[in-house]
Amino acid sequence: MIAHVAAAGEQRGRVVLRLTHDTPHPIALQAAMCVAQAFQSEIESLFVEDLALFELASFPFAREISFSGRRSSALSPEGIAADMRHVAAAFQRTISVLAQRAEIPLRATVIRDEPVTAVARACAQYGPWNVVTLAEPLSAASPAMLHRLFASVIETTGVVVVGPNAKRTSGPIIAAIEDIAHLEPMLRTAERLMAGTGTEILLLLLVGARDDDTMEMEGQARLVLGGTPLATIQRVNVPPGAAIDLAERLRRTNGGFILTRFGGLLVPREGSLDHLVQTLECPLFLMR
Amino acid sequence: MIFKRNQPDKPARIDATVATSQADKPVPLPVADLRRMVDPASLGFKTTADLEPISGLIGQDRALKAIQFGTNFKAHDFNLFVLGPAASGKRTAVKQYLDKKAKDAAAPADWVYVNNFDSPNRPRALKLPSGRARPFAKAMVAAIDELRLTLPATFEGDEFQARRRSIDEEFRAGQETAFEALNKRALEQNIAVLRTPTGFAMAPMHEGKVVKPEVFNTLPETMRKEVESRIEALQKELEQILETLPKSDKRRRGRTAELNAEIASHAVTAALDDVAEAFATEKAVLEFLEQAGQDLVRNAGLFLAPSGEESEVVKQPADTARDVRFRRYMVNVMVGNGEAPNGAPIHEEINPTFGNVIGRVEHIAQMGALVTDFLLIKPGALHMANGGYLLVDARKLLMSPFAWEALKRTLKGREIRIEQPSEMAGMMSTQTLDPEPIPLEVKVVLFGDRELYYLLSQHDPDFAGLFKVQADFDDTIARSAENDRSYARLIASITKEHALKPAEAGAVARIIDEGARLADDREKLSIEIGRIADLVREADYWACEAKHDAIKREDVARAIDEQIQRSDRLRDRAQELIDRKIVLLDVAGSKVGQINGLSVLQLGNFAFGKPSRITARVRMGAGRVTDIEREVELGGPLHSKGVMILWSFLASMFAQEVPLAMGATLVFEQSYGGVDGDSASSTELYALLSALSDVPIRQGFAVTGSVNQLGQVQAIGGANHKIEGFFDVCRARGLTGEQGVLIPKSNVQHLMLREDIIDAVKSGTFAVHAVETIDQGIEILTGVKAGERGSEGRFPAGTINRLVEDKLRIFAERARAFGPKGGSGGNDRDAS
Repeated sequence: MIAHVAAAGEQRGRVVLRLTHDTPHPIALQAAMCVAQAFQSEIESLFVEDLALFELASFPFAREISFSGRRSSALSPEGIAADMRHVAAAFQRTISVLAQRAEIPLRATVIRDEPVTAVARACAQYGPWNVVTLAEPLSAASPAMLHRLFASVIETTGVVVVGPNAKRTSGPIIAAIEDIAHLEPMLRTAERLMAGTGTEILLLLLVGARDDDTMEMEGQARLVLGGTPLATIQRVNVPPGAAIDLAERLRRTNGGFILTRFGGLLVPREGSLDHLVQTLECPLFLMR
Repeated sequence: MIFKRNQPDKPARIDATVATSQADKPVPLPVADLRRMVDPASLGFKTTADLEPISGLIGQDRALKAIQFGTNFKAHDFNLFVLGPAASGKRTAVKQYLDKKAKDAAAPADWVYVNNFDSPNRPRALKLPSGRARPFAKAMVAAIDELRLTLPATFEGDEFQARRRSIDEEFRAGQETAFEALNKRALEQNIAVLRTPTGFAMAPMHEGKVVKPEVFNTLPETMRKEVESRIEALQKELEQILETLPKSDKRRRGRTAELNAEIASHAVTAALDDVAEAFATEKAVLEFLEQAGQDLVRNAGLFLAPSGEESEVVKQPADTARDVRFRRYMVNVMVGNGEAPNGAPIHEEINPTFGNVIGRVEHIAQMGALVTDFLLIKPGALHMANGGYLLVDARKLLMSPFAWEALKRTLKGREIRIEQPSEMAGMMSTQTLDPEPIPLEVKVVLFGDRELYYLLSQHDPDFAGLFKVQADFDDTIARSAENDRSYARLIASITKEHALKPAEAGAVARIIDEGARLADDREKLSIEIGRIADLVREADYWACEAKHDAIKREDVARAIDEQIQRSDRLRDRAQELIDRKIVLLDVAGSKVGQINGLSVLQLGNFAFGKPSRITARVRMGAGRVTDIEREVELGGPLHSKGVMILWSFLASMFAQEVPLAMGATLVFEQSYGGVDGDSASSTELYALLSALSDVPIRQGFAVTGSVNQLGQVQAIGGANHKIEGFFDVCRARGLTGEQGVLIPKSNVQHLMLREDIIDAVKSGTFAVHAVETIDQGIEILTGVKAGERGSEGRFPAGTINRLVEDKLRIFAERARAFGPKGGSGGNDRDAS
């Protein structure tokens, strides 16, 4: 758990970069590199061959309609396997170049499984200090998938995701904090990320229904920050159901990374993430 | 045997008489004729500090009037060619005159090049009031700087983001609605829609998961068929949805572009409004701003993308003027006057290459290719001088490839059109620009020497049509008391300009003397300002060395001596060869057919006289003088002309009754270089007369002067140097009082001899004789009367001419005796 690594002052952790046959978003790949650099960790580039596609291809009547809709052809397990192999090789090559440039140790693996299960298996295999980065951008189906991911993958404390409009990893590190429990791990993670990007930290203390907690959190935050010179603390009132306004406000900060809790005000466990998905211009580090 | 077969008649006996007719003792020129010296007291001042420095030039009225006319006459083809010797002060004079004139003239317009948004390879030239070009360029940089801040902020702003999201949402919703409807129908029918690496596929589903094939195969066939047909129907529907996506996406992009343009135009208009307001009266600027505004709106994305020049670490904005993204909005100031009026420009181009005169389009290497844009157009001298005056050295201009032709073409066309030299040569060139030409109104002043002017006049028909005013600077002025005083004022202005010590009257007198020597004419003064100024500056140096308060006469003399000493290595070498008798030269005694001639060697600014031995030998022959110099192609045409003339004189003088049955050879002894000029023709004639008369010539004399067919001695150049050259040899061997030089009488007016020669003449150890005719000269050289033909048609006995005539008659008689029929053995041929 990288966040815990950061909080404990440990040096290492692991970034599991999950790839599927969907085209990876370049900012997602960059985000994986940034996190790995910040925590001096290795990257496991995990390409998942979706098992469902192979089962589908086994049907004699299975056909594939091209993205343009102008071509339709019969599917076969061999054909899907070949396509997957090519796609995986291309993606892994791109990631290998990025990792080499950033001098990050890289391990590339291919697993044929259900996408969430595959991540859970990979994380379980190499220990608990994992952060998962999803290479494909968020979509309408993401809330359910994120929910499953946090539920199934025990050996991770965070998932990094990007929206389709993501454009940068440089800028202030924004930590949107809602509770004291997450304060220190998030701050330490932000400090680690800031060391890599060389900018500043903006602590947004999200003021919900319980204002007393926020006061205490601010005091605690100032204590934890100590002499960190490049950090600013802001209190933000987030009335219930104002996640859209919060997302818009975060966009205007031009952040390079946003850290927040999964299941909180910004990313609730249930409900649509459409607005967040559209406004998100930098990676979002969701912490357990 | 041969003589037997052609036995000639015995020639008539003619008794050769001996020289018995003594000539009168020659009278040398008086000292006063040898040098015109200025009396310092006559100058009327103590030092030049007492004098008002002269402004401008002296004695150049004709040239100055021509400059005045040429610069005042408003016509594109009345340009000036200022001709005259180097260092005559012509450039300074022209500049001084133009400085005064240009100061009061109106400052010309400013010119800039801007991008042509319709046709980028043809940049637009904009004319602006004087002093407005640079503010315009700065205003454009400021406007772009503002946009770099406002445009990103505008596009980050709530309004834009909300409206863009609205568009995206509208189209996304449309697509998703269709997809969702399809998905919904598929789900209702237990069909899953899955994405593959290259498209979409559908499969039967149960409880949210794709049914495994082995399970599916257990279903009844009718059910399986039912599922397959449902999948087939849904696939068709999916195909239709997918086919509409590109069109829908195109519409979305169109709507987004409209929104971008609308949002950007507010910011662009706000940024350019200030520029438009500042240049509201400039129609061309307003047109450019409108085009630039449209382009900025179209390319607002340039302001949103990071610059390649921005640091990754420190996000400081790069210099807008250098940012490659914004170059097209910048302004290239070709001519930018200061905001304060400063009159018409006077531009002197010291390196008039094609590009420096016309301007050029530079290129930069980018990824191995040479690229350019309107900001790489560099102004030439014509741009700088437009509306004023361009000063160029003609020789340098002509030596620069293409520059002369380009200047003429520009003057004819009255517009500056920048082209690549390679285009002029018809060669291939890299892709380049064709900037709009800039109208030209300039007065070109070319500087050159006379030779160049006359060559251009003769060989370049365009030259006369474009440079119709010649300002001819004289190199000397007439000597007069008034001009001597003006000369003193000129020296005063030199001392003032160079911050030198004042010159005493004696020093000024010595400089005036030197001015006459430089002119090679005691009735003239050289106005080669550069050389005079150099002399004054060097004299000041020696005055400082001697710790004098003012420049004294001896300082000037020292400066002259030092100048000579620095340059006279070759003269010393020539003198040494004579002293060591390697070069044979007699300065005492008498010899038949041998005489000392004089020549001048010019080495840069230093000239010196060099005596040489000329010998003549005669014999019976076919009437021909062999000029050995010419035979071996060491003699130039003028020298040959001189020899022919002297031969003609001899023939007409002595061969009226008998044929000229002689052969003669003439040679400059120990001459290994070329000989030209006719200044030795009288000398050669004296040698011939001596050889024919058998009367020796006094070797203490050296002779110069040309001769005509009538036996008159004519003026030559370099008389002073020639006399001085022979004097130096005589002094080295020891002055005897029998030594001297014969010069043409018409050269007496040129004499400005060195002071040591004047002293020698005063003491009677050296003499200068001036002669008008060959007869006068031969009498001085031989001490024997030349003789005049008497009433009976014969020269008196014992005279030189009689002796010559008798010798020629003997030759003629002998020739007749040896002839085929005992007749004339010679024909009256000219010298070859």
